[in-house]
Amino acid sequence: MKDELEAFAKDALEQIQLASSAQSLEEARVHYLGRKGKITEILRGLSQVPEAERPAMGQAANQVKQSLSEAIDARKAELEAVSDANEGEPADFSLPSRRRSEGHIHVINQVTEEILSIFFELGFQTATGPDIETEYYNFESLNIPADHPARDSHDTFFVKPGVVLRTHTSPVQMRVMEKMQPPVAVVVPGRVYRVDNDASHSPMFYQIEGLLVDERVSFAELKGTLMLFVHRFFGKTAKIRFRPHFFPFTEPSAEMDVSCTVCQGKGCRVCKHSGWLEVLGCGMVHPNVFRHAGYDSEKYTGFAFGLGVDRIAMLRHAIPSITHLYENDLRFLEQF
Amino acid sequence: MKISLKWLKDYVDIDVTPEELAKQMTMLGLEIESIEQVGGDIDHIVVGQILSIEPHPDADKLVVCRTNAGREQPEQIVCGAKNMKVGDKVPTALLGATLPGGFKIERRKMRGIESCGMMCSARELGISEDHGGLMILDPDMTIGQDIKDALGIGDVVFEIEVIPNRGDWASMIGVARELAALYGKTCRIPALDLKESGEAASAVASVTIEANELCPRYIGRVLKNAKVEPSPQWLAERLIAAGQRPINNIVDITNYVLLETGHPLHAFDCEKLAGHQVVVRRASAGETINTLDGTLRSLQPEMLVIADAQRPQAVAGVMGGAESEVGEGTATILLESAVFHPISVRRTSRALGLITEASQHFQRGADPEMARYAIDRAAQLMQEIAGAEVLSGALDAYPTPAPVREVRLRYARCNQILGAEIAPDIQRQHLASLGFQAQGGDDTSVLFRIPSWRNDVTLEEDLVEEVARLFNYENIPTVLPHIQPSETVLAPQETRIRALRRFLAGEGLTELYNWTFSSPEAVQKAGLQDTCGDMVTLENPLSEKQATMRSSLIPGILANAAHNVRHGRSSMAVFEVGPVYLPEEGLPTQRQRLAILLAGSLEPKHWGRPQTPVGIFDLKGILETVFDFLGANVRFEAGTFGPMRPGQTAQLLASTTPVGWCGQVRANLLRGYDIESEIFLAEVELDLLLGREKAGRTFSAIPGFPPVLRDLAILVDRNVPAGEILKAAQQAGGPLLREADIFDIYIGKQVDANKKSIALSFVFQSETQTLTDSIIQKQTENIQKRLQKDFGATLR
Ligand SMILES: [Zn+2]
Repeated sequence: MKDELEAFAKDALEQIQLASSAQSLEEARVHYLGRKGKITEILRGLSQVPEAERPAMGQAANQVKQSLSEAIDARKAELEAVSDANEGEPADFSLPSRRRSEGHIHVINQVTEEILSIFFELGFQTATGPDIETEYYNFESLNIPADHPARDSHDTFFVKPGVVLRTHTSPVQMRVMEKMQPPVAVVVPGRVYRVDNDASHSPMFYQIEGLLVDERVSFAELKGTLMLFVHRFFGKTAKIRFRPHFFPFTEPSAEMDVSCTVCQGKGCRVCKHSGWLEVLGCGMVHPNVFRHAGYDSEKYTGFAFGLGVDRIAMLRHAIPSITHLYENDLRFLEQF
Repeated sequence: MKISLKWLKDYVDIDVTPEELAKQMTMLGLEIESIEQVGGDIDHIVVGQILSIEPHPDADKLVVCRTNAGREQPEQIVCGAKNMKVGDKVPTALLGATLPGGFKIERRKMRGIESCGMMCSARELGISEDHGGLMILDPDMTIGQDIKDALGIGDVVFEIEVIPNRGDWASMIGVARELAALYGKTCRIPALDLKESGEAASAVASVTIEANELCPRYIGRVLKNAKVEPSPQWLAERLIAAGQRPINNIVDITNYVLLETGHPLHAFDCEKLAGHQVVVRRASAGETINTLDGTLRSLQPEMLVIADAQRPQAVAGVMGGAESEVGEGTATILLESAVFHPISVRRTSRALGLITEASQHFQRGADPEMARYAIDRAAQLMQEIAGAEVLSGALDAYPTPAPVREVRLRYARCNQILGAEIAPDIQRQHLASLGFQAQGGDDTSVLFRIPSWRNDVTLEEDLVEEVARLFNYENIPTVLPHIQPSETVLAPQETRIRALRRFLAGEGLTELYNWTFSSPEAVQKAGLQDTCGDMVTLENPLSEKQATMRSSLIPGILANAAHNVRHGRSSMAVFEVGPVYLPEEGLPTQRQRLAILLAGSLEPKHWGRPQTPVGIFDLKGILETVFDFLGANVRFEAGTFGPMRPGQTAQLLASTTPVGWCGQVRANLLRGYDIESEIFLAEVELDLLLGREKAGRTFSAIPGFPPVLRDLAILVDRNVPAGEILKAAQQAGGPLLREADIFDIYIGKQVDANKKSIALSFVFQSETQTLTDSIIQKQTENIQKRLQKDFGATLR
């Protein structure tokens, strides 16, 4: 029995060494070590072995089983090394790859999200309002009564008496203030409409409005908030400038300029040789606006700002004409 | 408004460069549109003296001159003018000179005679409209001197944009006043030295205001024997610098005073006014007026007019009438300076479609004090320039003088609003420099009297802005606010829409962004007239194509597909998220929708394997991942929808609520868009799906026992929905059935014509034991029986 076992082991080890492919090695494994294989057969045969020899024989058989198993693993590793090195055509890595189709978020929404995320970090949250607004929310409540000359600069689309396409996102200020008491810290992205259509004006465009109302909010904080926004969005080297302006719903009012992103303030066509780009309008919320909202303007102060996303997107990506933004040509959309 | 620097210096000393001045004006709120160097394009033109004039041998209309321009040799110049004589000094353009407008002077032959330069008229130099011949210069001028220096025509003109609340800035004095405040200097307003003479004006004409609420003040002056002729050069030059064309001295003086003071004046021919009366009243029904622009206009009863005893002679604050226009034969002028109500002027001007210089000034609000200064200033100039006799006394109707306005400024409040530390005396000083007069106060506040020209200032905040402007916005500190987080979330759906956009882009779809306009034609073209024909209509659309607000995203997205197909694109996977508008009493309803459009293939082209064409199940798959993403349970149920192919269309239902459609677009509809490829399209109502809270998920145990796989092939009638079979199998399979799927569907020769074969695969798995054959057998039999009972399914 012992001799038989030794002979079997020797023969099996030779056969394993001779296996020349993964497949013939697997056949050998089944043949020797499988459930119906030789070793199983030998172990079953142990019952015929005299009682005294059984433990030694059993141990020997298990040793053979283990050494065969090790030999198979070793041979497998050798064969794999050979096939890794030699099998198949070498890949031509200069060939075009197989990529998944890429999707693109519209550039206006990319820029909007980037801007909003800066204000989210400061603690602002999103608010929204309807595109089609009442004249009250769009004008009167914002201190722009009927016949106010400021209405001249809001070329308005009318839907029916008292109803317009909003000309700015500012009406949402009023809707939010009617809904909640201070502190209010909101940013309002949205479509706005003006009767205007040429290379630099679109009848529909996109604005982001900001509003902060609390006790003791100051113009200095307006400057600080917008400075942070500019440094995050345009980079730390961007310079900013606040200069007086007029908006009916803020007092004091300002326009904010950013040093020209094209010429870095040296003067070029884009900035009309001034070195500055007008980026947004802002100011301290006018007491009449608070009065319409039912806020106590002695107790609360606030600031508001509004910026045109289209223009900022065009500046950032050097897009020459606003018509690209709404043409929906995939050759344009896929660039961003 | 154009501001000439030379002219501005009449009123205030300016010691800075034009560039520096532009910056300072900007920081005061005077927005600079452009800076123009006047005379900057005049070069190589000098004072020359004509030495001889000979006839041209071959041209009757030309002469040959020799002109001393201060160089070694006189210049030979061929000239067509006739008004000069030997010894006259004239502007002489040398070789290489450029005239305004860019005309270059070169050596050339005129009818065979060489000409080496050009002698110029005033118009050729761009300094007046006078083209009556050469400009004859002062005989004392130095030969050879640069003409710009000789005439002093170098100037810088700032074009400023006047913001709507600062009407006072639309004048030289207004701008000068602002700069004087900035520099701490005085503003020199020209002193009046009017010499009245002759009879009393009131003996010649009368002024009556019948509509005092629309005209708080009306001043008339009567002038006699004015000589109407071209304006002197200094006056003409100033008007030209301001971008105006000189006409005659009387008209030019009213325009000059308007530029100087910002107050519009009007001159009537007093003889043409019936009864020599001025009546300020509302128009009567049916009245008309022939305005100065030669148009007959119908007047409405709410419009304010300046009438004589019989009829309107001017539309108040907008335009004068032709009948009483001042001309050559005018012997007596009635000069008007008035204050009209801004809203009344604005409404009238808009109703007549007549926006004039005067109406723009009046609708910003006029200064009643400046009204008096302006008329006296104009009368004085007419006296000096046109030799007019100014009759004694002004016809000044000012029944209710404007009340004194006062506003209190609290120093601490000012600093609190600005977030700055500006000392009380500095605050006071800034306001005083702008003409606000302190009426006494204490340590904490001061009461200011508001100057008559500042009708924009009514509140403390307005004073705060004035302090801030003079303090300079740049000097206010920059501080970050401490924002208290709010418990109220105002627009939770916005966050989800942003996430949905990113998700779809991650799925390989590109976002479109359309104008939200539409039109009945666009809706019809998209086959939506039955479902989306009811739209919000605009009263003043830009064009027929944008006559309405969109009621569906489909017309837009199909037009986008057409645009891209036209530019050679065959594969597209695009989406749009945005609002549609549905008419309603009051404000329309606004709904967020999602549209998805697929065409061609979802895979990029590749050399290694062919592209799989996109199909309806790709669209269904994308929609399902969207619904999973949103946590919504949406069914697809066969249906019919305008733009889509029958049999290839499904309605989307969230339980029983319709939330949209998906399907393949009809080929005969696509023909209208010149699209020949297959288009798969869906539109989904997002509001309902976004409104749902995504269900929280809880952990389920990961099975520790091996799965068992079984297949089952059955035959059923062709019209049985495969999804129903799958659903029934899932129910019948009991808790051990982990997964069920369809892996093959066969219709063809090997089965009956009205049958289809469906191959199902199942995965059974238990959480507590290894499954035996007999257990599995029982489960598959249950499934089999259920399918037989429900669908008449037989084993294949
Ligand atoms: Zn630039």
